[in-house]
Amino acid sequence: MADRGSLLRRILRSINQQLPRPTVAEFRWRTRPSVIRPRPASCISSLFLHWRQYSTELQHHMSPELMKLMEQRLSAIENRSDHLHQIVNQPEASPEEYSRANKELRKLRDVAELITDLRAKQKEINDLKSVIADCQDDKDMKEMASEELDQAMAEEKRLQYLLLKHLLPKDDADERDCILEVRAGTGGEEASLFAMEIFKMYEKYSQRSGWKFEVIDVAQSDLKGYKEASASISGVGVYGKLKFESGIHRVQRVPVTEKSGRLHTSAVSVAILPQADQVDVQLRNEDLKIDTYRSGGSGGQHANTTDSAVRITHIPTGITVTIQDERSQHKNKSKALKVLCARLYEMERSRLHSIRSQFRSEQIGSGDRSERIRTYNFPQGRVTDHRVGITSHSIDDMLEGESLDTFIDALLLQQEMDAISSFVSSE
Amino acid sequence: MATSVGSKFLDLDNGPDSTLLHRELNWLIQDSLGEGEPATLSCAASASSSGSTSSKKVVKLRTCLDDLYRLWKERIEDRRPFQYLVGCEHWRDLVLSVEEGVLIPRPETELIVDFVEDVLAENYGDGLKEGLWADLGTGSGALAIAIGRILGCNGRVIATDLSPVAVAVTEYNVKRYCLQDKVKVKQGSWFEPLEESEVELGGIVSNPPYIPSDNIAGLQAEVSKHEPILALDGGANGMKDLLHLCNGAASMLRPGGFFAFETNGEQQSQFLAGYMESELGGRLVDIKIESDLAGIPRFVKGFKAR
Repeated sequence: MADRGSLLRRILRSINQQLPRPTVAEFRWRTRPSVIRPRPASCISSLFLHWRQYSTELQHHMSPELMKLMEQRLSAIENRSDHLHQIVNQPEASPEEYSRANKELRKLRDVAELITDLRAKQKEINDLKSVIADCQDDKDMKEMASEELDQAMAEEKRLQYLLLKHLLPKDDADERDCILEVRAGTGGEEASLFAMEIFKMYEKYSQRSGWKFEVIDVAQSDLKGYKEASASISGVGVYGKLKFESGIHRVQRVPVTEKSGRLHTSAVSVAILPQADQVDVQLRNEDLKIDTYRSGGSGGQHANTTDSAVRITHIPTGITVTIQDERSQHKNKSKALKVLCARLYEMERSRLHSIRSQFRSEQIGSGDRSERIRTYNFPQGRVTDHRVGITSHSIDDMLEGESLDTFIDALLLQQEMDAISSFVSSE
Repeated sequence: MATSVGSKFLDLDNGPDSTLLHRELNWLIQDSLGEGEPATLSCAASASSSGSTSSKKVVKLRTCLDDLYRLWKERIEDRRPFQYLVGCEHWRDLVLSVEEGVLIPRPETELIVDFVEDVLAENYGDGLKEGLWADLGTGSGALAIAIGRILGCNGRVIATDLSPVAVAVTEYNVKRYCLQDKVKVKQGSWFEPLEESEVELGGIVSNPPYIPSDNIAGLQAEVSKHEPILALDGGANGMKDLLHLCNGAASMLRPGGFFAFETNGEQQSQFLAGYMESELGGRLVDIKIESDLAGIPRFVKGFKAR
């Protein structure tokens, strides 16, 4: 994830483009005007108090409730860690007990180290406080101690923040590569043309981010737009950054095909699927039917053809994937398999997600592809993300893949806040 | 030109239709783009659609437009195979050089490499991965090269072909994939070029000519007018060479060695499997018929008895 300072600055910049300058403290409310979409944001706001700017660095204060919760978790981890250390140091522990304890300790190591640092810092703070109390008369000493106390407290905050991030639930898929699927929805040719632009927007954004963007398959429309297109995007943290792009992207403009100059609204659906392999989805060869769907003939030496299209059917789910763009059958097959694995993996994830979300309120990134997430309004030159209520006025930069970070960063921030709120409500 | 074909070739002899020809045209242009030109789909697509104004970018071509036009005319009027026009065929993850006189490797044949991969994964202990393999009637060298790439560091492949053109093309392809140390190319009929030291084969693969002589004239024009008959005509019933290979496999394979042959389809596969079971005194075992992706029983594979 981008470092928080630059992330916020970028968001602030984009907001400054559209609103009378808000004070920094106001920022959080401005990013989600309740007019657009009322959300149960108030619970988060009271927990995650306010953001303040110290010179260029941004720091935040956690609410007492959140602090209390975190403290409980930290002591629980400390107790667990002590208990595990005891097992490991016991000569009479069985090999299974030993290795299980060791494994868990390894998992806890990072967070345990942070806790140790935090405790040391907290002790330092207490010591400094008593120094200050003891030397009310020695002005120089008191001043020195206060200075150190400020530093120590800042360090304590930093450690607390790092720990909080450790404790928040992580999506294991964030580090994965992804499959991008873009489909033209309502709006005919115009939707296909816009699907192509959106597809290329992600291509450019990927290049900018240093990711590898490989086209998997493109089904062109009559005007050379894209009825459907898919690509494989790989690099560092690809899925984690792009996952919020799934959903309906709406476009409002006068299409090139429109002679009377009437404004049209069309839609394009985008799906971002984490990549998976056959092991992830426990794919068995006997569940697959792989065939060419060419018309008859004897094949083999009888036929000279450049058609090497392959169709894979996953028998248990009935999902079929067809790839024909590659020049060899082997490559078409492996691409089709890649797409199939991603789809199956996503199915399993959304099944798990729907079980989980029965217990908590709906959040962003639910992967609900029927949700209208963004509007690209050409006459007004703006792009609005409906989930965070942010509008960018540089539609051209957006389609060049330049300003997409404005939204992505805001969505990531939102995700973190949602995670904090569910961290609290799960207690 | 491609559009005017419609489904004429398809109806005539199961040849390519317009959709397929359009895609070939895209590829032709992609392949003729100069170094450093982005060979993206959109670029080639807009360049190929006459009258399209969506892309006005100037691209460098390696061939002049007149030559491209002449080549494409040969494709449509003479039914010259696309792979001969561009001089290459994409096969599995390989790009193989091909020219008149060499059979263009077929997508069906790709599966033989999958069979070999499976065997190598399962029989690692048997040392097949480090053994000596033979691709008989190698053509462009497709099977030999693909197998050469999946064998272990001591594994070797011998590729034989009667045709001097095929031998030259295979040698060129082997060099392109830097496999000179791994794949040896020899001119001669089937097993003949093998030396005495090379009779204990770990595996044999082949896509021999298997089309019955009577059927040659009725083949798709791309095949009958342009591809080498030597690589297609399998004698009266198409089984002449396949039977020879079966007998050879029974004596040349080492115990536990693997073989896979491509055939004309169900009839030949069943005949061949039956022949191996009944006529070779149990020397070939575990005989299985495998289908290609169009569902045609295309291959016979198995092992030499231990």
